[in-house]
Amino acid sequence: MLKVEDLSVSFGGVRALQNVNFEVHKHEVLGLVGPNGAGKTTSFNVLSGVVKPVSGTVTYDGHDILKSSMHQRVTYGIGRTFQIPQPMHELTVRENLIVAQRFGRPDGKVKQDRIDEILESVNLSHKSESDAATELALTERKALEVAKALATEPTLLMLDEVLAGLETTSKKLFMETLKKIRKQYNLSMIVIEHDIETIMNMCDRVVVFNFGQVIAEGDPEETFRNPEVVRSYTGEVLA
Amino acid sequence: MNIKFSAAFAIVMYLVIPFTLGDNNYLIGLVASALIIAGIAVAWALLGNLGGMVSFGHAAFFGVGAYTSAVLTMDHGVPVFVALVMGGIGASISSIFMMPALRLRGPYFALAILAYAEIFKILAVEATSITGGAGGLLSIPTLPVFMGIDFGTKLGGYIVILNIVCLTLITYHFIRKSTYGLALKAMHDSEMATRIVGVPATYLKIVMLLVSAFMTGSIGAFNAHYINFLEPDYAFSGSWTIFPIVAAIFGGYRTLSGPVLGALFIYLVDQLVFKSVMPQGHQLILGAMLAGMIILSPSGLLPILTKFFAPKKNIKKAEGQHA
Amino acid sequence: MELTAQALFTGLLMGGFYGLIAVGLALVFGTMKVINLAHGELVLLAAYIAYALESQTGLNPMLSLPIAMAVVIVAALVTFYLTNQIKKDRELNSLILTFGLGIVLTNGLLMVFSADIYSTQSSWFMEGVVIADSLFSMRSEMIAFIVGIAALGGLYWWLNHTWHGRAIRSVSSNRDAAKLMGMNPTKAELWSWGVAGVLAALAGVMLYVTSVIHPPVGHSLTIKAFVITVLAGMGSIPGVLVGAIMIGVIEGLTTTYFQSSLAELASMTVFLLVLLVMPSGLFGKKGAH
Repeated sequence: MLKVEDLSVSFGGVRALQNVNFEVHKHEVLGLVGPNGAGKTTSFNVLSGVVKPVSGTVTYDGHDILKSSMHQRVTYGIGRTFQIPQPMHELTVRENLIVAQRFGRPDGKVKQDRIDEILESVNLSHKSESDAATELALTERKALEVAKALATEPTLLMLDEVLAGLETTSKKLFMETLKKIRKQYNLSMIVIEHDIETIMNMCDRVVVFNFGQVIAEGDPEETFRNPEVVRSYTGEVLA
Repeated sequence: MNIKFSAAFAIVMYLVIPFTLGDNNYLIGLVASALIIAGIAVAWALLGNLGGMVSFGHAAFFGVGAYTSAVLTMDHGVPVFVALVMGGIGASISSIFMMPALRLRGPYFALAILAYAEIFKILAVEATSITGGAGGLLSIPTLPVFMGIDFGTKLGGYIVILNIVCLTLITYHFIRKSTYGLALKAMHDSEMATRIVGVPATYLKIVMLLVSAFMTGSIGAFNAHYINFLEPDYAFSGSWTIFPIVAAIFGGYRTLSGPVLGALFIYLVDQLVFKSVMPQGHQLILGAMLAGMIILSPSGLLPILTKFFAPKKNIKKAEGQHA
Repeated sequence: MELTAQALFTGLLMGGFYGLIAVGLALVFGTMKVINLAHGELVLLAAYIAYALESQTGLNPMLSLPIAMAVVIVAALVTFYLTNQIKKDRELNSLILTFGLGIVLTNGLLMVFSADIYSTQSSWFMEGVVIADSLFSMRSEMIAFIVGIAALGGLYWWLNHTWHGRAIRSVSSNRDAAKLMGMNPTKAELWSWGVAGVLAALAGVMLYVTSVIHPPVGHSLTIKAFVITVLAGMGSIPGVLVGAIMIGVIEGLTTTYFQSSLAELASMTVFLLVLLVMPSGLFGKKGAH
């Protein structure tokens, strides 16, 4: 469904991604793992159109998406979140979702009941009239980040460390929410997380990045036993 | 702008002023001129507030609108009221040339637009066959008699410009209320957040530029038929940029009523007070007011007043609403 | 051919002078990211001071420099103080603020000196100078060119070889790092505005001896200065000289082969093209995006 081929990105001469290949199948949850600066978020940035690659192709549902603008990709069904939540300033939580529905869906229709449903599923119903930029706690900001992406009605949802920084209880709850959402909306997902336990719990398959290259991929449990993967994870304790 | 305020405004502008000042051509003309500034100020604020774009080039739209309408009526016999709309369209077309500048960030956009305005001014002086060059165009047709009302009088012209200003306000209001308005509001401080949910940011900015140019152009066209004379230095004068900016900043450019009230106040005070105190260089005070406002309260006089008069609790809300 | 050579020569001389006009704006932008839209008006203020002294006392305009400098430095520092008072979105609000100050200055000059057009009484400046048997210029144009090149060279040296200059450069390239190294960014900014004032005063006196002055000139000078600064790539001193000569030459050629009224149009068009194609300017490192 999503196919990344020979993708390379460089920032001022520094190679951030080098001939990266991976695929996401329908209804699959793919985990991107690897140390900081390995190229996970850069991959998201290329897929969502924030960063232009030097070479490579990315196809999604038959669209050659590297040729499309950022907003077109959203209407093809690719939604993403940012590591640091990016609420739309000066709007309420509900208005954030209205804008996402209006511009993210191909037909541009705003369905209020859909918005209510999304707010309900990420536990933000009670905050729907709050100011998105100033009146939310961290967990709520992360929930809004996911809700915004959901409101564009994606088929592929890319989550960039949505669980990072949360304390254990809310992390667990939020993870359950994400699993529920995935079922409810029949989503494919790409997940960036540092926490191995989370990855094991959520992902069907993982792709391991190091120094801008894919060094391993496959079943999460097997992959994390791979010595090369373990080495790349210096300083991180493996489960 | 709430309903009570709008109603009061409409009553004063449509009933009180015509019946009290209607016979005094000087005063009604003065208010009409203030409304011209108000209209441009609204168009400027629309672009600044909903597009996040500070323009130093609205004089270009004003001038293009004025000449489009004047030439169409004089050389091609287009009816004046139709020509007002054409003036707006002409200005919108001229704004298409500015669109590459939309790629530029805030200050660079402002500077590019300033450069564009200079180019349009030079072109107007040079294109003598169309604009009459520095000599200008004389005897531009007045506003016609329509449905038994002579709009060619000072009072008639006042009613027309008042309608134009109200139309711009209503348009602004509906854009702001729409999902476009929501997205534009959000783009101000969080453009990436809006683009990532599918908002075609550049496209929306283009629309705002077209709309703002259209409004300004049709007001320029109105002015041409109101004073029946045009020359490039006048039509493209920096005043058409300066006055609206001062008015919009003074009244608060993030509100609907701000630019209108700001323009009425600034223009009338300038003409009635400053001009009589210092016949030459009275715009000095405008410049000083502009500088002062940017330092003291960039979002207009309203937040200052609210700070003084509102109970302390409500301040945050009043500032946040940008009503 | 001779015509072209003359046009290029005139353009080159104008370029040196334009560089002098623009470099103060570029310097302030470099340190503070503030585009001073009252810069041309500061230049014009110096020119009017030269006029006032010449017409009142018969003083050679060149000798009015110290007074012009004193006044313009004060005006520049006041502008600096005011821009420093801006609380939010300084980049954009400083544009509006200095735009307002420019209006104040223009109208102040209009009130004091009226809308009349003035130029120097001394015909010495108007006398012709011939170089290489065929290239003609007015003596004043030559002086303005030399002063411009000298000032730019001096500034370049100052920025690279003196403590204050280096402080300004480090603040422009990385404000926070400079702060950590114990430099006071505000002090560096103050210096850059002061030096910009000196340069504006020099440019103003040169303006008075080479050209005619009346109040609207200030606005055109501002536009010319930021056109050159953007061409240069914001903040680059050698870039300013190249950008200025480019504008000078374009204007010279347009005037020779078309007409003088189109000169500004040509340079403005080039400016827009460069801005759109290379938003970071010809010599800039940082982009406008």
